[in-house]
Amino acid sequence: MALKLSGMGALAALAIGGLIAWPFVFSSSYDLRVFTLAGIFAINTLGYQFVFGHAGALALTQGTFFGLGAYIAGLTALEFGWTFAETVLLAVAGPVMMAVIIAAPVLRLQSHYFALATLGIGQVVLLVAIQWEPLTGGANGRPGVPGIELFGAPALRGIWLAAFVWGITAIAALIAWQSMRGLVGRAFAVARENDLAALSIGIDIWRLRWIAFLWSAAYAGLAGALYVRTVKVISPEVLEFHIMVAVLTMAVVGGRTHVAGAVIGAFLLVHLPEWFRGLDRYYLIAYGVVLLMAIVVAPNGLVGLAQDWMGRRRRAKPPAIPVVTRRTTRRTDGREPASLQIENISMAFGGVRALNQVSLRIPPGEIFGLIGPNGSGKSTLINCVSGIYAPQNGRIMLGDRDLMRERPHAIAKLGVTRTFQNLNLIDQMTVQDNVAIARFAATKAHFFRDLYDVRSRRLGQARDEAMQVLERSGIAAYAQVECGGLSYGTKRRVEIARALALAPSLMLLDEPAAGLSSAEQRELADWLQDIRTDGMTLVIVEHNMGFLMPLASRMACLDHGVVITEGTPAQLRAHPQVIAAYLGNEAVIA
Amino acid sequence: MALQILLNALALGAAYALLAFGFVLIVNATSAVNFAQGDMVMAGGYVAIAVASIAPMPGIALLPFVLVAMIVVGLLSSLVAYFPLKSRPPVSVFVSTIALGIILQNTVNVLAGAAPRAAPALFGDGQLAMGGASIAIQSIAVIGVAALLIAGQWWLFARTAIGRALRATAQDRVMAEALGIRANRMIALTFGLAAALSGAAGLLLANTFFVSPSDGTNYIIKAYISVTIGGWGSLTGAALGALLVALFEVAYPQIPILIGLTESSTAVTQVVFSQTTGTILLYVAVLIILFVRPQGIFGELAQRRA
Repeated sequence: MALKLSGMGALAALAIGGLIAWPFVFSSSYDLRVFTLAGIFAINTLGYQFVFGHAGALALTQGTFFGLGAYIAGLTALEFGWTFAETVLLAVAGPVMMAVIIAAPVLRLQSHYFALATLGIGQVVLLVAIQWEPLTGGANGRPGVPGIELFGAPALRGIWLAAFVWGITAIAALIAWQSMRGLVGRAFAVARENDLAALSIGIDIWRLRWIAFLWSAAYAGLAGALYVRTVKVISPEVLEFHIMVAVLTMAVVGGRTHVAGAVIGAFLLVHLPEWFRGLDRYYLIAYGVVLLMAIVVAPNGLVGLAQDWMGRRRRAKPPAIPVVTRRTTRRTDGREPASLQIENISMAFGGVRALNQVSLRIPPGEIFGLIGPNGSGKSTLINCVSGIYAPQNGRIMLGDRDLMRERPHAIAKLGVTRTFQNLNLIDQMTVQDNVAIARFAATKAHFFRDLYDVRSRRLGQARDEAMQVLERSGIAAYAQVECGGLSYGTKRRVEIARALALAPSLMLLDEPAAGLSSAEQRELADWLQDIRTDGMTLVIVEHNMGFLMPLASRMACLDHGVVITEGTPAQLRAHPQVIAAYLGNEAVIA
Repeated sequence: MALQILLNALALGAAYALLAFGFVLIVNATSAVNFAQGDMVMAGGYVAIAVASIAPMPGIALLPFVLVAMIVVGLLSSLVAYFPLKSRPPVSVFVSTIALGIILQNTVNVLAGAAPRAAPALFGDGQLAMGGASIAIQSIAVIGVAALLIAGQWWLFARTAIGRALRATAQDRVMAEALGIRANRMIALTFGLAAALSGAAGLLLANTFFVSPSDGTNYIIKAYISVTIGGWGSLTGAALGALLVALFEVAYPQIPILIGLTESSTAVTQVVFSQTTGTILLYVAVLIILFVRPQGIFGELAQRRA
């Protein structure tokens, strides 16, 4: 591992050395100007990585924020004679304010709805810039924007300007890197890869998206201010769509989530037209071709390719023999097992009634079994309790709290967690990190705290806590294995361990025994019994009667969205309607 | 006056509806957005101009050329920008079609130049006298041709075997494949049809409004607004949305004239009722719709399955 890391480190050192040497080799004033612009675009792309890379949202506002920053910086200098420092502050604040305003209607939209909505906003800003001629100079723009002056000294030029801009790029890259290398970065990865998993462990995915959006706006504003003070003209060109496309291309070509990707992408694509000057008018076509090829051939960009090549992504082999030494420990977090009371909830999808007036009482500390044929509404019920679906009426009470008023991540924070029928783990993350992110909500990990948590203490602490849970769950031996390489049965265990790491008071398990061998089922049943004794209420949805009957103290049977009966396992087994639901009416008639 | 405005709005709305249909057909078939759909309008306009420059003929005779050429463009675009990415998240297709749009736009730019060009009128430039008002023949022709294309599209999807296969693929690709439908072919065909409809819109629009290589972005936003208003995934909604957008666009700058403000046309009214202000208002309206009623005015809320 040390050797591999040093391989990556050597590559990074080489790249940084190359960047420092570049302006001394290519030192004509034209080359220096192109190099400076590359630094400015690197800042903008670093910003774009927050929203596009980390939050995984295709925002098409990065060009607009950049242009807005440029206009603010240019016009305040021209109209009021503001200094560079003053214009920068406003050029950052302006786009951030705009991001706050437009976040309300657009941020919750899914993928392409979001992309198109943000695109339209950009077109409106462009129109305003062109039409507001007295101030902005209309389509021709306004010349004479002063250069970057610091502390009353004359404006920076040539290599000093390049050094200043790249110095800011380095700081911006450092902040971006630091903010994402801890627990917050892992939370972003979960929210991006699997939003349901993120919500189930209390991660507020909308808040993460919001923060990413604001940071991308701030970086764009900064880049815009640097840009207008470098090119010394303000024109609507900065708001046009091709700036957005350029930044998108840089992020895709370089890599979406790695700071090096932004720098490499910006450096290459700003220099590309210079290198391919022979292409002349065709270079914009080449731009499109590069973007298309990058997204098809190297979806993780050049950095992704380098990482693959360096073998950092090679999966560690899972240990051959599973080490099963579960330890039972009384819970120490002071949470009590919770009671759940479902009152008259109904849920319809279009014309299909998935749940119809369902009421259930589940006392604290009980293992409650929920059975019913496929499509009877069991999973829908779990989705309603965990807040993924909003039932059309009724109440869901956890103790004396109405869960229907809470958003999914808040429900998880209240101590209600779940596992999924179709396993929602992050395959590219290790077992330990998959469990550690469940501590995100509990450790009060915060974007700004992670900024100055330079030793990533919080991530270390969460990993320690995750390790304890893994030991209790008997899968500590797998801690460093990526989840994608695990067997099905072990994945199930990891998912339960992740739920346990949240220290819940109520756990909803959706078909936990599905796909397990009979030995694994016995082990799981013992474990769930222990978890209950530790102080937890369990609701288990299951088809496997042999597994559930000895485990549950009470059970209910759902059919076509209606609770047909409720009682002890023995009562259910003898109930004619349960038999009919499971074996089909024909069997009863016959 | 009012009649003239109404006809202009109908003509523009009919062309927008063709574009929005292209957009919705692809969303339904692939659950991905073809960002280059706006560029298909532009490309259709230029196909018409190119053919007319070789063999001058009225616009209506150009229509078959545009349809065939655009079906080819659509098929090709599905091959380069959709199929290599079909098992990736929909956002990848969005990015790849942005790239496709850049390629289309700049290819046309190199071939034909950046200056706006006009395609021939469908039948002629004449005016028709109707009850005191004179009405452009082109407007009526545009409405007629668009209506024919929409009817043809409806007939294809509702009444033919291939239409059923297309709809089955859009509804549930896996199930369609299980029933022996070649889903990939159907999706490629959908791209072809979508491009043909949008390209036809290009022919219809490129006479009155001209066409330039960079028009695509503007058109994709129009399609998006129409679809947002009408409800995602609904063809009828898209058509209604397109008509509303066009009506607003045509009528808004005319409001001072309609309410008799012609004489006192001040600088303020010029700004307030400018095309730009209209566009901004339209977009603000869309943002409000998104905020208050994300499923669109005519749409039904669908919850995601977990």
